[in-house]
Amino acid sequence: MKKFTFGWDHGVTIFLVLTVVLGGFISEYFATIDNLSFVIQDIAEIAIIALAMSYLIIAGEIDLSVASILSLSSATIGFLFRNGTSFEMAIVGGLIVGLLCGLLNGYLVTVIGLPSLAVTIGTLALFRGLCYALLGNEPVNELPENWIVLGYENIPGTFLPWSTIPLVILAAIAWIVLHYTRIGRWTFAIGINAEAAKFSGIPVARMKLGLFAMTGLMSGVAGVVYTLRFASASPDGAVGYELGVIAAVLFGGVSIAGGIGTLWGVLAAVFALGAIRSVLQLIDFSANALLIVSGALLLISVVVPRAIEIAQSRRKSTFVTNK
Amino acid sequence: MKNLIQKTLKVREIPVFLGLLIVVLITGTANPAFFTLSGFQDITLGVAVVATLAVAQTLVIVMKHIDLSVGSTIGFSAYLIGDASSKGHGFWYCMALALGLGLVVGAVNGYLVAYLKLPSLVVTLATLYIVRGLFNEIAGGNTITEDMVPKAINFMGLNTFFGIPYLFLVAVILMLVVGFIMKRLRPARDLYAIGSNLAAAELVGIPVARRVFLAFLATGAVSGLAGAVLLARFNTAAANSGNGLELSVVAACVVGGVAIAGGIGTVYGAVIGAVLLQAITMALGALGVPQFWQLTVNGILLIAAISLDRYLSTRVKPTSIMGTN
Repeated sequence: MKKFTFGWDHGVTIFLVLTVVLGGFISEYFATIDNLSFVIQDIAEIAIIALAMSYLIIAGEIDLSVASILSLSSATIGFLFRNGTSFEMAIVGGLIVGLLCGLLNGYLVTVIGLPSLAVTIGTLALFRGLCYALLGNEPVNELPENWIVLGYENIPGTFLPWSTIPLVILAAIAWIVLHYTRIGRWTFAIGINAEAAKFSGIPVARMKLGLFAMTGLMSGVAGVVYTLRFASASPDGAVGYELGVIAAVLFGGVSIAGGIGTLWGVLAAVFALGAIRSVLQLIDFSANALLIVSGALLLISVVVPRAIEIAQSRRKSTFVTNK
Repeated sequence: MKNLIQKTLKVREIPVFLGLLIVVLITGTANPAFFTLSGFQDITLGVAVVATLAVAQTLVIVMKHIDLSVGSTIGFSAYLIGDASSKGHGFWYCMALALGLGLVVGAVNGYLVAYLKLPSLVVTLATLYIVRGLFNEIAGGNTITEDMVPKAINFMGLNTFFGIPYLFLVAVILMLVVGFIMKRLRPARDLYAIGSNLAAAELVGIPVARRVFLAFLATGAVSGLAGAVLLARFNTAAANSGNGLELSVVAACVVGGVAIAGGIGTVYGAVIGAVLLQAITMALGALGVPQFWQLTVNGILLIAAISLDRYLSTRVKPTSIMGTN
């Protein structure tokens, strides 16, 4: 039996529960089934991308271009559909584009050897520009009705929106792979010490390439969900989502320095932020309050562990090494 | 002679500058309107905001840190200036307010990064959100209109000094001052040492925390004051002012040869990088290329710049998101 240690992810879970309970007290509508359905719909894209982003940050890399990939995937769907491709094939096209974008990021980072922060600021602009190149300034709004109902209707007989299905399946896979397989352990090993990981036989470059590709593909999936939810493919969708994804991942207890994090923490963080957003909307707080809360939570997620660390090192020894 | 060529090529700003010359020459040949005074003014006026912020950002990036909060700070500051002015306060009061805001944001960033040793990417991402949120809360749906802008700022935005827009002059003067400081003064030289090798910098007795704090404080102060530049440039400010500017600023620095891995780069490079990006945007317009290609080109340029840098340098592959050296 593994000894239970209280981690950041447990803290976030408690925070999530508290938010939900308090939310229920604050607004009668909060704890209703309709609202739950709305919250899931609201966070689906960010949650799906956050799954992949967690791996990437745990492995010590980052991808700022995810919102642009999401939008490019959506734009591709719109472009293909407008030019006569069937909607099914257009979706496949959108997913392929997402994968290719991720591969490009991965190639630049692992093969050319560029820092991912700078690379993905570049591809953030590049992919966004391509959205406009594909669609011009005109969004594609005439999407087939039988598909866009998936964006606003619930799964028949339940209160869950259709986007729950990809979310649950992908979350389950991501969870199992990260915490129970070799690939997951490799991801952590690379984040803790890439050099050591390489010498112990882990294919570091190939793993990182794969993680970037997966992040691209997940952004593509989020692009499909996004397109259906808004029943539209526009070139300027999801601007700034990358910061929301990263904020959720970091608040979920993933260390920006790599090597630390749990998928449960990230999912709890995504839901907690979604719940807070919903509460604030229900009590007619402006969206600005959410910005402030997100920022504050992000700060807390780095300040608290650091404070604990300082307190512990004071108790243990007088010699504190700085990283 | 060969020695001179080799030396020149080693100056990191040269390739960017050559790139800028090529862009200007090609565009000018294809469209003579680009060579006119108004073409020059378009570029220099357009680049003023990003160039000013890029100078400040250089201080932070050479230390292997990053400050993402500048876009929120400059937008908020622009709004505060206009708001205070419309309530009848004088120019200096408005500027003091802008400086005060910048100092507060800079001090918070600096304290958390320097003394609590938190990662600057996370800290400044958080302050980006918080400052933007406070800003939007205060601004609401209000917009600063032209008649609310202080006279002096309005004047700066509309007029030129012998053909050179005042706003560009502000950026250039700031660049020269900071450039001199970073070349000559010990405390600023220390920033390079911190960015090159943090452990070594500590061992030789550099007060690392104090330097990091001051650099963030300076970046915040410049971002606050630059609110005046933003306001002068657009004559308006609203809740979305300065949104996303941080990425353009980092891009300008990186294109200008300020290595994200720290320890390398100058403010001159950062400003030339900003001008190059702006010139390309304008060039595309002058050549009749639809505006939306500009983003794509900027992205490609940024990747090309860091790839070239990687190719030219013998540094090892980066092992972190900020790279390594």
